[in-house]
Amino acid sequence: MALKTKLKVNKVIKFIKNIQILFVLYVLLFTIQPSFAASSYVLSYPESMPGSFFYKIDILQEKLFKYWYFGSFGQFFCNLKESDKYLVQSKTLFEYNQYLLAYDALKKSDQYFINTLPFLLKARNESKEISENREILRQAAQKHIEVLSKLQKEVPQSFTWVPEKAKPTNLNLRDTINKSIKIREKYL
Amino acid sequence: MKKIIFLLYFLFLLAFTFFSYFFIDSNLIYLKNLYTGFAFSNRLVVVLIYSFAALIFFCFYLIFLEFFKKKIFTRKDFKIILILTIVGLVFSYPAILSYDIFNYIATSKIAFFYHENPYILMPIQFTNDPLLLFTHAANKTALYAPFWILLTGLPYLIGFGNFVLTLLSFKILNVIFYLLTILLIYRISKNFYNTAIFAFNPLVIIETIVSNHNDIVMMFFALLAVLLAQKNKYLTAYLFLLLSIFIKFSTIFLIPVLVYMLYSKIKQNSLSMEKIYLMLTFSMGIIFLLSPLREEMYPWYAVWFLTFACLLRNKLVLVITSTLSLGLLFRYLPYMYLGTYDFPTPLLRIIFTAIPVAIGLIYYWYKFKRA
Repeated sequence: MALKTKLKVNKVIKFIKNIQILFVLYVLLFTIQPSFAASSYVLSYPESMPGSFFYKIDILQEKLFKYWYFGSFGQFFCNLKESDKYLVQSKTLFEYNQYLLAYDALKKSDQYFINTLPFLLKARNESKEISENREILRQAAQKHIEVLSKLQKEVPQSFTWVPEKAKPTNLNLRDTINKSIKIREKYL
Repeated sequence: MKKIIFLLYFLFLLAFTFFSYFFIDSNLIYLKNLYTGFAFSNRLVVVLIYSFAALIFFCFYLIFLEFFKKKIFTRKDFKIILILTIVGLVFSYPAILSYDIFNYIATSKIAFFYHENPYILMPIQFTNDPLLLFTHAANKTALYAPFWILLTGLPYLIGFGNFVLTLLSFKILNVIFYLLTILLIYRISKNFYNTAIFAFNPLVIIETIVSNHNDIVMMFFALLAVLLAQKNKYLTAYLFLLLSIFIKFSTIFLIPVLVYMLYSKIKQNSLSMEKIYLMLTFSMGIIFLLSPLREEMYPWYAVWFLTFACLLRNKLVLVITSTLSLGLLFRYLPYMYLGTYDFPTPLLRIIFTAIPVAIGLIYYWYKFKRA
């Protein structure tokens, strides 16, 4: 009789232990979410790449957008959007070892990024509330730095581009990326 | 007799204007002195008053139509009723049934005050703007076509930054287009009966003068295009149709009818205008019926086909359009009472819209078909 009771108690203990394991698994599964990005800012997908027919249309669209996005907030968003676009383009081109094109895209991204803040300041002078957009810019800078920091580890220090029938170009890739990071750090 | 009808009608309109102020939004800081919260705390009473008002409005409509049909009412009477309608309702609170007017003002403010593109920026992006307190679609970029935004610049600028003045300017803009549309209908139909079918339709009046929807502006340009096409001025007709499309896009479905008119002219086929008006009514009627595919069947969309339907000399069309107008006014009742768009509101809306139409059709069948 005592043995029977002991067996029953053991069964209950085993059951409780199983439940504990299930509970821990449940907690792990539903409460620990994987973290993919430090910034909640979302970059766009890469669009058409240099050399493609659609890239020419993109360039035309870029020129038209400068007029479509009129107003200080409009210009702010236009510049930020273009900066994002060229950053993603640069990242993709770096990954495919198209260093010269990637380098050019990164330079464009930098220039567009630099253009953003003056438009926010202009908006402030026009009595527009800019705090939310300033926060967007800060998050964008954070995201850009995140992408660039990853890239910096993957690209060679420098690269010499030797085109046909022209002088070779030496590209200081890591220095350029470092410069881009520094530009964005000012906006954090 | 006439004077008593006019007096009663005007008193009714003034009472409706008074009733409209029960609906003032608690966040509408500019009219906070007039806020009572009555409509939101006495839903049943409000529903009963509104239903009663819609029925009285409809009765006046039927009386007017009967008197114009029998030529008891003259041109002068038409003008008197029109003036009474406008004066009686122009000062009503516009957001009893829809908050669209606030959206028009917010969009206009983005373009003409902030000098930004309303197709890119939403009102919500201008934090601290007082309009955000009561604008309902603040999280959407401009919903209307560019010509409408351009037109709203005028009432916005006339408002001089004063909200109440801006609101009134927007109302006056609609009243102007309401009058112009009536003028066009009269020029086309050349009789007051057909003009009255449109001009004194309670749905048209409430959606245009009270709720201030821009559909009347779109339909004015569409009607002008039809009139010009009728006079063989096709180039200007297409230009005005384009302007109409650039207000709210819906009149894009009139292009086939205008192309057919041009084709008939080139082929030198005789053109029955009655047939054309029927085609125009059907084109806009079908789009109205298909509107739930895009969003939902908003009552003010009925202005699209009512503009052309009034030109038809068909009793069945008149019965359907007038009873549907009443049904569409009743469509607001379920939300007004329940305060939610969830079930059973959608089902009740269909029932409330369909019942007057069904009664109208039964009446038509008994009175005309059986006779």
